[in-house]
Amino acid sequence: MRTRMMAAFLVTLLATGIAAATPTEPQRGGSAVVAIGSDPETLNLGITTGYAVGAVAASIFSGLVWIDARGEIQPALATSWTVSSDGLSYAFELRRGVKWHDGRAFSAVDVKFTMEQVTGLYHGRFRPAFQNFEAITVTSPLALKITLKRPYAPLLRLLTVFDCPILPRHVYQGEDITRHSRNNDPVGTGPFKFREWVRGDRLVLERNDAYWDPVYLDRLIFRIIPGAALRVTALEVGEVDQVADFYLPKTDVDRLKRNPNVRLRLGQPTPSIGFVFINARRAPLDNPKVRRALALAINRVQIVTQAMGNLARPARGPFGDGFKWAFSPESDFNRLYPYNVERANALLDEAGLPRGAGGERPVRLRMVYDAARAPIAASAAIIRDNLRAVGITVDLQPMDRAVMIERIYTRPDYELTVQTFTSGGDPAIGYHRIYASAAPGTPFVNATGYSNPEVDSLLNRAAEVPDRAARGKIYAQASKILAADLPTLMLFDEIGVDAARATLRGVWIGAEARDRWDAVWVQK
Amino acid sequence: MQAVPLLLGVVVVNFLLISLAPGDPVATLLGEYPAPPEYVAQLRREFGLDRPAPVRLALYAWNVVRGELGFSFAYRLPVVTLVAGRLGNTFLLMATALSLAALVGVGLGVAAARRRGSGLDTAATGISLAGFSIPDFWLSQLLVLLFAVFLGWLPAQGIRSVREEYTGLAAVLDAARHLVLPAAALSFRYMALISRLTRASMLEAMSQDFILAARARGLPERLVLLQHGLRNAALPVVTVIGYNFAFVLAGSALVETVFGWPGVGRLLYDAMLQRDTPVLLGVLLMVSATVVVVNLLTDLLYAALDPRVRY
Repeated sequence: MRTRMMAAFLVTLLATGIAAATPTEPQRGGSAVVAIGSDPETLNLGITTGYAVGAVAASIFSGLVWIDARGEIQPALATSWTVSSDGLSYAFELRRGVKWHDGRAFSAVDVKFTMEQVTGLYHGRFRPAFQNFEAITVTSPLALKITLKRPYAPLLRLLTVFDCPILPRHVYQGEDITRHSRNNDPVGTGPFKFREWVRGDRLVLERNDAYWDPVYLDRLIFRIIPGAALRVTALEVGEVDQVADFYLPKTDVDRLKRNPNVRLRLGQPTPSIGFVFINARRAPLDNPKVRRALALAINRVQIVTQAMGNLARPARGPFGDGFKWAFSPESDFNRLYPYNVERANALLDEAGLPRGAGGERPVRLRMVYDAARAPIAASAAIIRDNLRAVGITVDLQPMDRAVMIERIYTRPDYELTVQTFTSGGDPAIGYHRIYASAAPGTPFVNATGYSNPEVDSLLNRAAEVPDRAARGKIYAQASKILAADLPTLMLFDEIGVDAARATLRGVWIGAEARDRWDAVWVQK
Repeated sequence: MQAVPLLLGVVVVNFLLISLAPGDPVATLLGEYPAPPEYVAQLRREFGLDRPAPVRLALYAWNVVRGELGFSFAYRLPVVTLVAGRLGNTFLLMATALSLAALVGVGLGVAAARRRGSGLDTAATGISLAGFSIPDFWLSQLLVLLFAVFLGWLPAQGIRSVREEYTGLAAVLDAARHLVLPAAALSFRYMALISRLTRASMLEAMSQDFILAARARGLPERLVLLQHGLRNAALPVVTVIGYNFAFVLAGSALVETVFGWPGVGRLLYDAMLQRDTPVLLGVLLMVSATVVVVNLLTDLLYAALDPRVRY
């Protein structure tokens, strides 16, 4: 009996000890260190889509909504909303008792001011949506209504802190928004307050005790580490606690998978794609047959395995397959454009580009890409080798990002380029720009010169229709045209990877690794 | 007085080179989505990029004469503020690296010269060869792997710990721990250079008549070596340290980037990537001015070491 009691006591003691050692309840205190690659150019997230700005300022400001890890829209500053049946009117109820970091009360007036005076004018993603706004009406101090000229399906997704962070009217009213001194020392409603910025070294935020949800960390510190490899090393040795996908070199993921002190999130809910812009302004790339031949000659599976380290899926359609509802099996690249050198050769012969005596065709293409991005450089090299097999010579032209932007977008002077775009949570936000007719000289849009009024019209309709099934049908129509015209060749759907120390708990409840640091706590 | 036209020349040449380089600073600053065209135009106006290059050059030169180095495109802060915030960190790294290089290099060179042909001499030659051959950035990464990842003795990056907020002596020790690896990486090449040069100069000095005379007077060997030999051998070494100051500064850009050290070198590297013209011009001008001053100091030191040198 005594032995039994002793055993029971020991088991209880052990169980209590284990429970105490690995608490599952969030604990208050401590700090988290997040690696970022460069100083943000500002902390005013309302005037830029810069990644580093979002990484820091998303914890200082709040949006009306946030997107959870399943990709669903959740309330933030707006606690509820109703959308009219015609999709033209959105009524929002705002959260009560929210205070700005300087103690002033937040209200609907701040939201109207932000949209009309800041994000509607300066924010690259929000502005196109704002141009479709008919009116913003403050219906009470904590309620407002947005009326649209035409329905816009992904509007709610553009009300996150990354697309429309709400700024304090009392700070910015009547001032020069883009050059305001508080852009470097901002006042927000977010879970953390700005404390210190030592440029080139660190940015320190501290807990906002007045935030509406519990905030566990005392401090959230952003460490500026320019070298990609060193960011991973710092994570491995515990000097930083998180490296988000944007800053994580994919070549290190296999090593991190084997590290028991690091946990990974593979496959973020926000799709991103990698593709080749084909400059259709230049012969022979103005011939769709040649573009189709390129699609058949480029081995997307090889790119995924060798260049992307299997952290991607071979692209299956003009919009990838990240949005299942927008993918059309009818335009599946696996069926239309499987890797097939023979068919590629036949199409090139048909296009009037016969091989010469040395086996080469009279086609020489310049492949321009950002030299700093290793997977892109590797993809470009594979494409060069693939095209050599069908007699096309590709000259690789790696360059730094600033020059690449100029060569591709500002003053297009290229034949091929590998680029990656993020969807922003909806094809209408991030992918339409790949195909929609674009004014020459605009960065990060369709740089191929391809312009098809029918595609433009379908894309506009796809953005307006609220029902996903109906949108899917429109994307299927657009995909059919785009898969035939092939102004751009999709290569892969990226599988994003976020990495964090195992002691960091509560991470990644949002779609973005940059979001919802209020829920994060440190297991001591 | 020759320094003033020299520095103005530096301003003009740098401005022309940077202006001729492709890449639009505004496009690189505004994220990954197309920025509103009106905002782009507004920024171009604010940055003065809507004006012809000769006008921008004239305005920039005039501002430099008035002591203004402009406003950073990327940081939206005065260039002087930015550079001033980083200069101390770079000088700390450079001073430590150069002192380390001088101490170890001279010691190794003297020892190798004294025991010419010995195992020590061969080892010193081998170390020097490694110093010349190993690129800074590669050595930096090896040091991080060994001392930060495998042994865990030293921090991998940064200038101070950010989790803890140290003060007083603890803060100094924390900074010193962070300084060890970048300073060692930056100093290795110059240690090799100084070591080789010291060895050669010492061998030459030790074969002179005044050394024979000193020994004939019965001076202890240590005094002969250090007071007579090294003092004469030091002249070319000092020249080389002064001459290499600019190269150390250039090397610090790589080392600072690898170690995440927030110095001027990294500011320069970031400014190049971001096409932050005012910061590039400002840093290059300050580096040029510093090199001029250091060369002047080297000449003065030369005169102090060698009474035969008069200006």
